[in-house]
Order: sequence, then structure tokens, then C-alpha cells
Amino acid sequence: MNNIALSRNGGRVLRGFFALVVVFLYAPILILVIFSFNDSDFPSFPLSGFTLKWYRQFIENGDLRASLWTSAIIAAATSIGAVILGVLSSIALARRFFRAKPVVSALLLSPLVIPYLVFGIALLLLFHQLGVARGIPTVVIGHIVITLPYTILVLVPRLEQIEEALEEAAYDLGANRLQTFRLITLPLILPAVVSALLIAFTTSFDEYAVASFLVGTQSTFPIYLYSALRFPSQLPQVIAVAVVVLLVSLTVVVAAELGRRFAESRVGV
Amino acid sequence: MTTPGLLGLPVAWLGVFFVAPIVIVALYSFNVYTLFPGPHGFTLDAWRTVAHSGIYRHLFWKSIEMSLIVSISIVVLAYPLAYYLALSGTRRKYVLLLLLIAPFLTSYLLRVLAWKVILGDQGVINSFLVWTHLRSPEHPISQLLYSRFAVMLVLAYIWLPFVALPIFVALENLDQRLLEAAGDLYASRWRAFFAVTLPLSLPGVIAAFFFVFIPTIGEFVTPSLVGGTGGYMYGNQIVDKFGAGFPDWETGSVLALFLIIVVAILTAIFSRFLQPQRVAAE
Amino acid sequence: MESEETIDRRFDRQTLFRYAAAAGGAGVLAGRTGIADAMRAISTAETGRLQVMDWAGYGNDGGQSMFASYVKTHAANKPQFSYMTNESDALAKLHAGAKPDLFRPYVGWVKYFATSGLVQPWDPSLISNFKHLNPFMVKAGQYGGKQYGIPDDWGFDAILYRTDKVTPKSNSWGLIFDDRYKGKISWFDDLNMITIAGLYLGFKNPWNQTDAQLKQSQDLLIKKKKNVRLIWSSETNLWEAFGSGDIWIAYAWPNDWVQMKKKGLKVAYMRPKEKPVAWVGMFMLLKTSSRPKLAHAYVDAWSSTKSAKWLEDNYGYGHANTLARPASSDLLKALQLTNPRAVTEPNAHLDRDIPRRATYANLWEQVKAS
Repeated sequence: MNNIALSRNGGRVLRGFFALVVVFLYAPILILVIFSFNDSDFPSFPLSGFTLKWYRQFIENGDLRASLWTSAIIAAATSIGAVILGVLSSIALARRFFRAKPVVSALLLSPLVIPYLVFGIALLLLFHQLGVARGIPTVVIGHIVITLPYTILVLVPRLEQIEEALEEAAYDLGANRLQTFRLITLPLILPAVVSALLIAFTTSFDEYAVASFLVGTQSTFPIYLYSALRFPSQLPQVIAVAVVVLLVSLTVVVAAELGRRFAESRVGV
Repeated sequence: MTTPGLLGLPVAWLGVFFVAPIVIVALYSFNVYTLFPGPHGFTLDAWRTVAHSGIYRHLFWKSIEMSLIVSISIVVLAYPLAYYLALSGTRRKYVLLLLLIAPFLTSYLLRVLAWKVILGDQGVINSFLVWTHLRSPEHPISQLLYSRFAVMLVLAYIWLPFVALPIFVALENLDQRLLEAAGDLYASRWRAFFAVTLPLSLPGVIAAFFFVFIPTIGEFVTPSLVGGTGGYMYGNQIVDKFGAGFPDWETGSVLALFLIIVVAILTAIFSRFLQPQRVAAE
Repeated sequence: MESEETIDRRFDRQTLFRYAAAAGGAGVLAGRTGIADAMRAISTAETGRLQVMDWAGYGNDGGQSMFASYVKTHAANKPQFSYMTNESDALAKLHAGAKPDLFRPYVGWVKYFATSGLVQPWDPSLISNFKHLNPFMVKAGQYGGKQYGIPDDWGFDAILYRTDKVTPKSNSWGLIFDDRYKGKISWFDDLNMITIAGLYLGFKNPWNQTDAQLKQSQDLLIKKKKNVRLIWSSETNLWEAFGSGDIWIAYAWPNDWVQMKKKGLKVAYMRPKEKPVAWVGMFMLLKTSSRPKLAHAYVDAWSSTKSAKWLEDNYGYGHANTLARPASSDLLKALQLTNPRAVTEPNAHLDRDIPRRATYANLWEQVKAS
């Protein structure tokens, strides 16, 4: 099979490059794994001996577990909210023509710009003004704002690549807009939707600055982590957690990916 | 659904939870709102002070330069990766894409910490150099950590997986028939690339550049962890104004608002730039 | 120096220990059990969980032992924590609507908060461990004759350096400005650096410098910044960098010396001739607090001898409770715990109010940005 996009040698070069980059990406993670078993209060070479005590400590650490759970809830709500708003926005941006489009798209993407610290404070003041108590819902609101641009940036290119002709054909055959969306557009953009969900979830799960101002008395995982980075005694446990979080999230992503491939095979595009 | 119907909810959400807070920040910069109770009123004093100060200007340009270098470098690096995944015909492309994206799912803070271990004077790199006698133990390469270099390297590391995604999406959705047509017309691979693939994937590339350039200008976490004194960035100064020393929300708001304005302008330019591409593709 | 008073106090403690052993509980921590009962009776009028705004590591993220006795006697009012990264952050949060019952600024902020209208004075008679607290630190927590701050954790700011790599020209703060060790120096991320610069330059009152003096201090810092590899804000950061040999000289606290020594490094903790600075954490009670008695009980738990010893043994900070002694003789030495005058002149400069703090902050941030 003659591949116009890539020669055999070209393929080899790129494959080698890819492998190199993967090594570069994973080396620091490997380091984390190594240090999660290292018997020392803070990570530096030379290594001090093997131990499982950090894993044990983290499992017994109720506050740490609570912060993980809080982060998970916030991230789930955020990703759903952001994708809903993102799909609505992307359809308008990719399919409709209106004069205000540059302005609207600037508005929808602008949360990418604001330093999260300032945004966190600004939102805090807003809620104070409105008399809304800080807690999980306020963090979700802030995180939806932050992750919405990412969902749009993933969904719009995908929508633009799908031929409108497919949707027009559906209208010609008598489908209304909602049916067209449900039966034609949505299945076609589903891979992008899944990507958007994942991006929103991971962004929210890992976000520190906004959450620290809006969460009130509870802790999210990054907040716990940041304070652990500042307070030496907590650090080794937290590295152990990071390794666990990595494994869990890898499992989740693999499962999501398998689900997506199944859906794609059904749609056939 | 009509366009206003589609956009109603997202725009309202951002109006209340994004624009309003920014307006509040602006009001702080003009001293209309203040943190402490006491006399206050509209004034441009804080803006004037910042405008006349060379220090803030210098810091801003320094941060722009760092972000530019990082963004361009990793878009250039990510393109071949995305290209390989999307167009080489490998059957394992999603698995490999997953492999690429997965590090992004671990904690940002701890991945930065891991780099500190690699880059330090007795870290992995320097220990290796000493072990191979390329450098003596008394003279490790000290510029690796706590420097501008460290900030740019770590930022590139953090954002690289993220940046590959939009390029991959753009390349993956390339209509293969166009490439086949180029082949039928006896175009060489390079010609096909420059004439067909690259232009059509450009929206994805620009989106990718955007993805990384804009947030990195305002970065403060990575500089605070690996930047040392040389890697101090504009975002750190804003953080300090709000959260350290003594609250100076007025100046902090001016700095923040300036950043927002600059990026809003860039965004407007870029989105205009993206529109004609779409028309050309049709 | 064993005065009769001290011996009496210790004897009382021994009696209490016997009571506690007999009662089978840890009631010793509340001081004399009688007062603990009385406080409990008063406290029941206040409800809900005690809202504590404190620094990382002092809450349920590691500091549980410090207030364990409070939790035992007030199980219905267990503390709930929000965190302050520093006093400026706390100040902002308080003005933005946060409503803790108590929080912990450090001694340099006592006057500021006392005059801010945000806090109310404590009633030392409700704190059974109050009399064990270092009198100089207690005095530093007073303003206008009222006790606005209850001291607990404290330490010194001095210089930590590698004796195998560094030979100071003299015992002076100048070591952190020494051009010979370019790239191996670490400063502390705090506007106190301006104070230290002023101290080094010989100004009479570094905490209240004139404009001309401030310019000199700032210029010195900007000029010498090129020697600085890292400006640390968390001890973890300092320990990593120092432990891995990235830096040889650092503005540091006593426990940093103890930890680096434990790691096997050849280090010394220098007492500069211009004198080290002493910092003291001060619990302050918010005026809007609806749980003042509970707050007193909490602070009492924190001030107990058992908590004090825990703090010294586990976090390496000093504690204002003069009865406590850490297990580590190194720490004992570094904190000069046998000398109750350690934190005050002529031994050290106790940190104090900076009237022009906003200016100092601005200048320090410009140093970082330059």
C-alpha cells in the first residue's frame, strides 16, 4: 500500500521521533514512581531504600481521600456543564453566520486569558456581593467558565470538518433540527465530545488557584497537594497518591477510549 | 434552534460569571471598589504608576518572549507527532494518542516537582554527566534548574501533549481523497504535504498555538516552582500583588486587566484569521 | 535557672500526671482539670464547629496533635479549617467575607490587626496555659495594654550555610549578599528582606526606614539579586535545593539547620553580628466571632506543654510554652530554649510592626520583578 502522506523511511523517522518524545514525557513520571517507594522525607538523589509506608499513610489519610473525592465530584459536574455549553456554542460558531461572530468567539474563548488567581478573587467578590455561600457549587461555576474554551476549541474544528452536506441531506429528507442533531451531527462529533469531556474533567481536577478561593472550608486535591508541597511532612504520601491517581485516570481514559471506539465502529466514520 | 437560542445559555453564563467579575477587577483598578473600607473614588493613578514604571513593562515583554519560544517550539514538535498518528496508517493510532495524552492526566504540580529532581545540581542529568566524566562534581550545569530555561522546558513538557490534540484532530479529519487526488496528479509527497495537508491542517495548528501561548503568558505556578530568580514572570507579579506582602489590589488589578486586554486583542485577530481559511477550504 | 516557682510548677505537673494516669485519660492537656470543666460549662452556650483560619500543616493536614485535647473535650465543636497562605491572603479573605473565629498572623502584624477593627482582645484568665508562655512573647502580643495575640509557634531568621563550601568573611548578614558565592545563595520570599538589607546597612530602625534608606535597601537587593539562585517560600523548596547542593547559603529557620544536619551535610547556623530576627505566631480572635469561649479553649490546647513538645519534636519550630523541651539537642541549641530572653534584645530582634508595610511590599515585589 503506497501511502501518499508518508514514505516508508519517513514513517520510520517519525516513529523514532514519536518514541523519543514518549520517553521524554514519561521519564519524570517514572521518577515519581521511584520516589513513591523511596524511604526518605523528601525526594533527592541518592535513593534511601525501599518502603511501602507512604502508600499506607495515604490510605489512612482521611483528609487526603476526602480531597480526592471532592475534586472528582467537582470535575464531573464541570465537564458535563462545560460540554453542554460547549456544544451549544460550537454549533453556533461553526454552522451559523452572524456579524457578531468575532466578538462572540472572542468572548467565549477569553477565559483562557485571565490568570486564574485573579479570576478566583474576582468570582469570590461577585459571590460575596450576591450573598452566595462558597462551596462545591461555586467552584463548579468557576471551573465551567475556565474549561468552556477548551471544549469549544476541540468541538469547532471537528464540526468544521464534517460536511454540512450531510446535515442538509437530513433536512431534505424531512428531519427537523433536533433530529438531525441527534442522529447525524452528534454521533459524528462524539469523539470530539469525549475529548472535550476528558479535557474539562482533567483541567478541573487539577486546578488549584480558582478552587482555593471558591471552595471555602473543604479541600480539593490540588489544594491539598499545593499545601503539601509547602509543608515537607506531607510530601511523600502525596507522591504516592499521584502514582495512584495516574493509574486510576489511565484506567478511566482507556475505558473511555474503548467506549469511543465501539461507538465509532457503529457509526462507521 | 435559532442562533440566539443556541448562544443564549453560554453567553449568559459567561456574562454573569466571567464578564461581571472582570468588570469588578476593572473597578478595583480604578479605585472605585477597594479592599479596605475608607475613602475611594474613580482615579487613574494606579494606571499611571504602572505605565511609567519600566519594571512592569520589562517583565511583561520577558514573559511574552518566553511564551512565544515555548509555544512555537512545541507546536513544531507536536506536528510530526500528530502527523505520524493521523496519517501513517498505523492501526494503533488511538492507543498511541492515548499514550501521548496520558501524562497530561497526572498532577501538574507533581510532574513539575519531578523535573526539579531531574534538573538539579545533583539531579539525574548532572549525576549522569559526572558519572560519564563529562563534567566534574564541582561544576554541575547550574543553569538547568531555577532559571528561565527551566521554566520554558517544564512549560513545554507540560503543554506538549495538550497541543498535539487539536493538530491530530485536524489531520485526522483531513479528507484522504484530496491526498489521493494529489497523488493521482503525480505530486511528490513533500508537494502533497505543502499544497494539501499543511494548509488544511492550519486551523488545528493555529488552535494549538493558541492553546499554549495564551495561558503561558499568565503562568505563575511553574515559574514559582522552578524559575528561581531568573524565571520570575508577569503572572508571579500579579499573584504577589494580590496574595503576598501587603494587598495591593489596585496595582494587581491594573496588571491583570492589561494582560486581559492584550490577549483579547490577540484573540480577536486570530479568530478573524481563522474565518477565511474555512472559506478557502470549501 | 531553677527558681522556686519553676520547681513548684513542675511539682504540680507531676501531681497532675498522677491524676491523669489514675483517671485513665489525657486530661492533663487541659491544664488543671477544674478549669477544663468550667470552660466546658461556659462553652456549651456556643454552638457549631469552631472556624479556624490557619497555615498549612496546622490543621487536619498534619497538626492534629496540637489541638487533640480540645477535640476530646469539645467533640461537638470540632475545628473546621480554612487556610491562609500568609497574612496578606488572610487580610484579603477577611475583607472579602470570610468569617473564621480565629486566625494566626505573626508578631509583626499585631499592631496592624489590633487597630484594624477586625479583632478583639483575648481574656488570658480563660487560658490555663497562659502563665507558661514566654513573657517576652506575651508582651509582643499586646497592644494598648490588651492581649490581642497569644504566642505559640516561633523561630529565628538567620543564615544556614555549608561549612565545607563556604567561608564567611565575618559573622554577618552580608553573607547572603556575598558575590563570591554567586548562584549558590537563597533568600526568603518576604518583604522582610528589605528589613534585613536595612539591618545590614546599619540603619537604626530597619522596620521603619525613610525613603532614602528604603532606596538604599532596595538598590542593594536589586544589585545582589544576581547572586541568588532561588527565593524560597516553602521549607520543602529550601530543603530540596539545599539538600541537593543547589544552594550553599540560605536565609533560614532553626529547623532547617537541624534537618540539613540530619541529612549528613556539614552545616552551620550563623548568628549574624547584626543579630538574627525572631518571628512569633500570634493567635488572634475575630471581633465577629460567635464562639469566643471555644476559641479560648482551642488556643489553650495549642498552648499546652504536651502540644508544645509535639511541635518542637515534629515541626522543628519553637513553642512559647517555656516548659517544653524537644528531644533533639540540636534544636534545643538552635532555638536557645534554655534562655527565655532568646527572642529579645540584645540576643535577637523580635519582629515588629512595619508602619509602611504597603511600601515595603511594593519595593520587594519590584526587586523580584527586576
